[in-house]
Amino acid sequence: MKVGIISFAHGHAYSYANALTELDGVEILGIADENEERGRKAAAEFNTEYYADYEDLLNQPIEAVVITSENSKHYEHVVAAAKKGKHILCEKPLAHTAEAAQAIIDICKEHNVILQTAFPVRFSTPVVEAKRIIDSGDLGNIVAIKATNRGTNPGGWFVDREKSGGGAVIDHTVHVVDIIRWYTGAEVKEVYAEIGNLISDYDIDDCGQLTMEFDNNMFATLDCSWSRNDAYPTWGDVMLEIVGTRGTLSVDAFGQKTNLYNRDGAHWDFWGDDMDRGLVEDFISSVREGKNPSITGEDGLKALSVAIAAYESSKKQVPVQVN
Amino acid sequence: MLNALIIGAGTMGGTHAEAYAKMENVKLAGIVDINLAKAQGLADRLNTKAFQTYEEAVELDEIDVVSICVPTPFHKQYVMKVADDKKHVICEKPLAISLSDAREMINYCNDKGVKLFVGHVVRFFPEYVKAKKLVDEGKVGKPAVVRTTRGGGFPIASNDWYSDFASSGGLVLDMIIHDFDYLRWCFGEVKRVYAKSTRTRVFEKFEYALVTLRFESGVIAHVEGTWAHQGFSTKFEIAGKEGIIEYDSSKVTPVVASRKETASSEGVAVPESPMKDNPYFAELEHFIHCIQTDAEPVVTAEDAYKAMEISLAALESIETGKVVVLEDTQEKVGVQ
Repeated sequence: MKVGIISFAHGHAYSYANALTELDGVEILGIADENEERGRKAAAEFNTEYYADYEDLLNQPIEAVVITSENSKHYEHVVAAAKKGKHILCEKPLAHTAEAAQAIIDICKEHNVILQTAFPVRFSTPVVEAKRIIDSGDLGNIVAIKATNRGTNPGGWFVDREKSGGGAVIDHTVHVVDIIRWYTGAEVKEVYAEIGNLISDYDIDDCGQLTMEFDNNMFATLDCSWSRNDAYPTWGDVMLEIVGTRGTLSVDAFGQKTNLYNRDGAHWDFWGDDMDRGLVEDFISSVREGKNPSITGEDGLKALSVAIAAYESSKKQVPVQVN
Repeated sequence: MLNALIIGAGTMGGTHAEAYAKMENVKLAGIVDINLAKAQGLADRLNTKAFQTYEEAVELDEIDVVSICVPTPFHKQYVMKVADDKKHVICEKPLAISLSDAREMINYCNDKGVKLFVGHVVRFFPEYVKAKKLVDEGKVGKPAVVRTTRGGGFPIASNDWYSDFASSGGLVLDMIIHDFDYLRWCFGEVKRVYAKSTRTRVFEKFEYALVTLRFESGVIAHVEGTWAHQGFSTKFEIAGKEGIIEYDSSKVTPVVASRKETASSEGVAVPESPMKDNPYFAELEHFIHCIQTDAEPVVTAEDAYKAMEISLAALESIETGKVVVLEDTQEKVGVQ
């Protein structure tokens, strides 16, 4: 199967590309990037063709495309790919606005192509194991969840609101909201958020604390801050504390690590299974078998809607209903 | 030498009594408990007298200070009685169930010219003291996002009083008030409170609450309180502009005894983090020092009132689903 990649703006492009090269029968036919230096470098690294214009890449005999551009460009790239009948794995958040995300979903339906939102955390082995435990019923009813998805401020276009749609809140809300929806089947009804620009000197939100009320009488909180500094031993985390009526469950998606201390400081060296590979493998198999994607565009939109409601809540200082 | 009396021979009464018994400048004058056998057990162990009522105890002995370690709903009546007798008061937290009671108790003690101290002991836990010191020294830069955790299993106590929300206020008033007080100590006044709890959702001996505080300084704090887990632990994390402080009591266990499984019992590990003096001793020693020297305590009755304000705002938020904005009561109190 021949696959293209549009843009290496998002760092996940590297791990998705790595995963693609490891899969049997999959070839990266080309990489399009408006940033020539970045695109040529990536093309050389993955031993493939560089395209300055993504339309040229889309005119090649590729079946699928991975879109890892800036959030605000997802829409343009998805529309172009869908029109050419290419199946799409789109980086999260699905778009920088809910309207763009809805348009992305619609155009993919219209052109009958698979649209998968890239939520790799669903493929973290500890996260999957936790789902098995929840599904077994051992915890009783899930009544509350406390989560963190902290990270290091990525800088670059992530802190340019025009391109990203927002800072830490739009970047780090969607993964955990998706996992909670996946775990419980519940939808977020209402969001309250305290958001701040307290850490970096960039003019963008880097601290966020969300509280969510779900349609099944469950609640959850999420710390989505870019609060890890360079001295912290790792880039960030995905952690969930799940409270059921019969027990509790702690999940640390990046807890499988070995600690390294040397002249560069302290580092937590992760050795768990590669979730990005799991995501890419799943997408490729959906394309191959013509299945519905395991994570849909609607899943991407639902998670994005929570982040957008969080911004509104923070602005109005009241809880906000999620549509 | 100060003579100290304890009212209430439960867990906290025992803790206060043990601390006084160790102090060189304090004489443990007696233990009062309506359940005389309970008072007697503790009194025998610490070589002091047991009384069934407070009145009997004050009649027999010259008392200087009284530790009130009874369930929260009984705090007020004892604080008033002790103040009437012109003894200094050390009351366990939370000071009261309602702000009006708390205000009345504070004013009453002022009027009677006795000191009122409230046992917000977290300000005496070395790990918390150290963290505040690091923050004050600027080691993490300007504080931004703070997270705390406190709890374990559902507390076991006399008459199962923690199960009665009207008496205990649940974990939001009884337990994470510690974190509210600590956070206020470190980061100043709270502006807004938003909270959720399982209390009105799960009708079992079980509670789990998550509270978000926004401070005047901009700091965002998340407070987790649980009576839904196994084994007590506390955690905190302070992320600032330039650094991060982390602490997790479940990972700070310099002594761990691990027993082999036997036919009669399961194997078990007992972790400990021992100190020469426990934080309760440090707290009470400080309060005694404040009585003797008339010094301002590290935690005042007014601080206790402010911590209650945060707890009650959280309970209101849980009840209404709305954000609760704290008003600047400091000024109102000043102008009345």
